[in-house]
Amino acid sequence: MEGRIIVVTSGKGGVGKTTATASIGAALALEGNRVAVVDMDIGLRNLDVVLGLENRIVFNIVDVINDRCTVRQAAIRDRRIENLFLIPASQSDNKDVLTPTGVNRIASLLKKEFDYIIMDSPAGIERGFENSVTAADEALVICTPDVSSVRDADRVIGLLYARSITPKLIVNRIMPAMVAKGDMLSHEDVMEVLSIELAGLVPMDDQVVISTNTGVPLVMRNESKAGQAFRRIARRLNGEADLPIEVPGAKTGLWNRFTHKFGLKK
Amino acid sequence: MLNALIRKFTGHKSSRETAKKRLQFALVYDQLEVNDETLTNLQNDIVEVISKYFEIDRSSLQLEVKKGSDTSALVFNTPILCVRRNRA
Repeated sequence: MEGRIIVVTSGKGGVGKTTATASIGAALALEGNRVAVVDMDIGLRNLDVVLGLENRIVFNIVDVINDRCTVRQAAIRDRRIENLFLIPASQSDNKDVLTPTGVNRIASLLKKEFDYIIMDSPAGIERGFENSVTAADEALVICTPDVSSVRDADRVIGLLYARSITPKLIVNRIMPAMVAKGDMLSHEDVMEVLSIELAGLVPMDDQVVISTNTGVPLVMRNESKAGQAFRRIARRLNGEADLPIEVPGAKTGLWNRFTHKFGLKK
Repeated sequence: MLNALIRKFTGHKSSRETAKKRLQFALVYDQLEVNDETLTNLQNDIVEVISKYFEIDRSSLQLEVKKGSDTSALVFNTPILCVRRNRA
């Protein structure tokens, strides 16, 4: 059976695409799948450092496209998580060295080798985005609950629809206390504005910084709430579609029910 | 929670509601934006069709998208020089 290509994209930069790619990829591998995470951000690679694999890079995706090595040679095997592989981006080239034709060619090779191929798209909607989505079977759009990020997500969702891909949404960095105070968009607000199906909700979590500092995948840190959220997203992708979506910090206490009833809180 | 209560009685909007309203408006406006190339192509096509029936002054025509608070309209303005009488 051929693997599934899932692109992680957002339009806006700095909303958590790379963290999401690393976490979902690692979580899918922990579930027993053979997974390749692919860094599509040519010239500004970062997936390698987030996964702590930066000093094991020999070949990269541009080498594969230019036939300087095979897919197997370029794929770096993670020593902590079985069946997790990274295909790094090139740091010295720019985004124009990749073309949709070239990407489609490696995509079909990757599909034969892996169950899941997670593509980490660069920010923006230009060439790098085109390259990242050209071979995608599915798409995860990631945004944070702020106006600029949601607006960019809307644009990207439109572009994905134009390519007959129906994306799902991940709302990242939710701060439940701020939502409760009425100072942050809730996930319901974001879903209503974007009219899109949810893949999962991820709370703001200090552990993400610590994970990136150390290069230890977030999903390996059991104390990380964001890590747990990403593991649930991975399980949902991996056949458990009905696994309920947990709302970060949602309480069902008496006071909350009371305020909800009197229309003070939506 | 207390903030929500205070807002309820003072009629102040939360920043969350403001954000949602602004987003909804921004997205509607974004979708109405037409790029120049599309507009030029449209103008050329319209001129071609109108020219079959009327003689028009090509140099002084205008095509624009007018945006109101809840509607948007395509406005095409052209002076008609004369009607073509004997169309083939």
